Amino acid sequence: MTASFEGLEVGQEIPVYSKVVKREDVKAYADASGDQNPLHQDDNFARSVGFPGIIAHGMFTMAHLATALTRWAGDPAALKRIKVQFRAVVYMDETIEAGGTIAALDPGTRTATVDVWVRLTRAGEEEQPIKNAQAEVRFA
Amino acid sequence: MALNRELIGKEYGEVEFDVERDRIVQFADAIGDDDARYRSEEPVAPPTFPTVLQIATGGQIVLDPELGLDYSRVVHGEQEYVIERPLKAGDHLVATPRIADIFAKGPNEFLVTETMIRDASGEVVVRGLSTLISRGTAER
Repeated sequence: MTASFEGLEVGQEIPVYSKVVKREDVKAYADASGDQNPLHQDDNFARSVGFPGIIAHGMFTMAHLATALTRWAGDPAALKRIKVQFRAVVYMDETIEAGGTIAALDPGTRTATVDVWVRLTRAGEEEQPIKNAQAEVRFA
Repeated sequence: MALNRELIGKEYGEVEFDVERDRIVQFADAIGDDDARYRSEEPVAPPTFPTVLQIATGGQIVLDPELGLDYSRVVHGEQEYVIERPLKAGDHLVATPRIADIFAKGPNEFLVTETMIRDASGEVVVRGLSTLISRGTAER
C-alpha cells in the first residue's frame, strides 16, 4: 500500500480511497473542529437555505483527501502543501472517493506534486466535491 | 451590500492554542483516519488539524462588523495549507489571522483569509489560506 519515491512515475495514479459519509461522523467532525454551522447538523436549517438535507463540511471532505495522501506515502508528515477548490456539496450516506495523478517529481527534495480530486456519483452523474486541487508529498 | 475592501491587510488578534493529545485523537476519530501515529503517547496531528485553529481565530474576521459579511450567504470556496511540520501534542501555538484579499468575480465576492500558525520558538509551522465566497454581494 505504501509507495516509495523510486517507484513513482509522472502520470501514475495514486490508490483511490473511499468512504461512506455518515451523519454521526459529520457531527463528530463539528465537535472536533469547532465548526458548529447548523448547515452541517440541522436538516430543517439546510432546507431553509435550499439543500435537501445537511451537507458535510468541506474540510471533512478535504481531511479524507489528506488521509488518502498520507496513507499512500505511509507518513503523516509527508504532506507539505495541499490546495483545493470546493465545487460540489456532499450529502449524508454518499460515498466519496479520493484520488489523484502524479504531475511532477523532484528527486532533489523527493517530492511528488499530485493533481488530486474527490468524486462521487449522484443519480448516475459524477460530481466533484473537490477539483482543481494539488498536493505536494515529500517522501522519506 | 459589498464587503469593505479597506480591510484588506487587516490583522486580527493573536489566539494562543495548546495542542492536546485528546483533541488530536478526537479529530483523527472524526475524520476516520486510523493511523496509530495519531494515537501514540505523544501524537502528531493529521495534516488538516490546523482547521481547528483556523475556526478558533476566524470568527474575529467573519463577525467583524466593519467587514459587512452576511454569514448565511457564505460558502467555503478554497482552502490551502502549507505545512512546515505536523502539529503535535504539547505544541504551544500562536495563530494570527488577517484578511489577505477581497475581490469580486461576477455576482460573488471572495474573501481570502490567512492564518499564520507559529510555535513557541516563533517559527511558522503552518500557513493556512481560506477563500470564502459571499454569494451575490458584488456591486454591479
